[in-house]
Amino acid sequence: MVEILDAKTREKLCFLDKVEPQATIAEIKNLFTKTHPQWYPARQSLRLDPKGKSLKDEDVLQKLPVGTTATLYFRDLGAQISWVTVFLTEYAGPLFIYLLFYFRVPFIYGHKYDFTSSRHSVVHLACICHSFHYVKRLLETLFVHRFSHGTMPLRNIFKNCTYYWGFAAWMAYYINHPLYTPPTYGAQQVKLALAIFVICQLGNFSIHMALRDLRPAGSKTRKIPYPTKNPFTWLFLLVSCPNYTYEVGSWIGFAIMTQCLPVALFSLVGFTQMTIWAKGKHRSYLKEFRDYPPLRMPIVPFLL
Amino acid sequence: MAAVAATAAPKGNGGGGGRAGPSEGSGTRRKKGPGPLATAYLVIYNVVMTAGWLVIAVGLVRAYLAKGSYHSLYYSIEKPLKFFQTGALLEILHCAIGIVPSSVVLTSFQVMSRVFLIWAVTHSVKEVQTEDSVLLFVTAWTITEIIRYSFYTFSLLNHLPYLIKWARYTLFIVLYPMGVSGELLTIYAALPFVRQAGLYSISLPNKYNFSFDYYAFLILIMISYIPLFPQLYFHMIHQRRKVLCHTEEHKKFE
Repeated sequence: MVEILDAKTREKLCFLDKVEPQATIAEIKNLFTKTHPQWYPARQSLRLDPKGKSLKDEDVLQKLPVGTTATLYFRDLGAQISWVTVFLTEYAGPLFIYLLFYFRVPFIYGHKYDFTSSRHSVVHLACICHSFHYVKRLLETLFVHRFSHGTMPLRNIFKNCTYYWGFAAWMAYYINHPLYTPPTYGAQQVKLALAIFVICQLGNFSIHMALRDLRPAGSKTRKIPYPTKNPFTWLFLLVSCPNYTYEVGSWIGFAIMTQCLPVALFSLVGFTQMTIWAKGKHRSYLKEFRDYPPLRMPIVPFLL
Repeated sequence: MAAVAATAAPKGNGGGGGRAGPSEGSGTRRKKGPGPLATAYLVIYNVVMTAGWLVIAVGLVRAYLAKGSYHSLYYSIEKPLKFFQTGALLEILHCAIGIVPSSVVLTSFQVMSRVFLIWAVTHSVKEVQTEDSVLLFVTAWTITEIIRYSFYTFSLLNHLPYLIKWARYTLFIVLYPMGVSGELLTIYAALPFVRQAGLYSISLPNKYNFSFDYYAFLILIMISYIPLFPQLYFHMIHQRRKVLCHTEEHKKFE
């Protein structure tokens, strides 16, 4: 038997008397939704202690430290939105917004510039690179990534979109500006930058594919990632999250290509956030796997 | 905002010590405070800051008496004001190394907004230094800081007079709006001079493909007071109820 109490008020919310011992938390969540349809499973957090950690969907009732009647505490996680929806929205924005600036749509620059085109080749190249980057991200979201969590809180979409869309607009404004100044070292600088960008995009994609292959479809298993035959994945020897390493590299390449300070600032902010994520991921790898390779750093080989 | 934020400073400067200090913010109690060496350092820091702001207070009074008017008193306390307010940057370090149980982000925001007003507005735009609004926020800050730093000093020594606690959680009701008004009026007064001189602004074209309009930035800052000030103000009101009523109950049981 399972009783569900509100974690804050201790009010009895639900009493389930026909629950099998082998039932999972996921199944219990589904039963709870039947009596409280406004709390769909994704927004339920069930725990053994009102202030404790959330139980996982895969946890089995009989394996938990409970008696014949299990008391679970419920916390409403708030409206949830699927990761896929968030990713698609946050990536489609920059793709579209950048193009508005590239085509010099009215009301951005002076009227005499409406629908004109830049005379600098690097500006066209930058548009191709930026667009390619976000198209790649959209396709990866649809076809490559396998998410451990289905949803995240709804407010995240506003936060994330502000960040991505805001920075995209800020960068695009300067790169596509009629007074844009091309890189100081000309074609050499652009070629080098493009090489960095392309290598890092390929690298990032390779890592995403390698991570996908680690996890069978529909499962939530976690394994230590290792280098494969693809040379781009050899970065796994030195870092836990080479996808982030390559991502920062791509943006550094783009910054060098455009010689645009806002791009450099965006790279810096992104690097800071990805370092936080990489450190977290690195820490959980170390906690979960005793035999985790000691040479690896979270995001920057040997350093960070 | 600088005036508001600094008074709202959670447990800043070791106000908790090893005992249950006034619970601010989420009301959590830290079981272990700073060690003896850190406590000694923090006591010295808070005493020095209290003294510093007292110097500024005395400086203002003396200048007023000498001049016979309250206009343009900024010049008489300019140096200690800059020194002691900038010195508060150390408080960010205190949080970062953990000897003070406050959030680094919140403390940074508070101190940086003060430092911004001192250096990026008042110091940078000489024409506003004679404005009365400067006296308004300097006075608010001075009274607030004297109380705040003595509050922390006494808390660290486990001998907090009720008067100081009361003052800290009551005077803000007037000092906040006073400080915020002074700050906003000063920024507003600075605007035309910033526009005229193109202060701290960079325009296109340039080789880093970047532009910054300090005038627009200052206006954004002023606008940000609208959502931020009420939040901080009502947070302090809420804290006041918790702290002062809690002490009342304790007194009943003595």
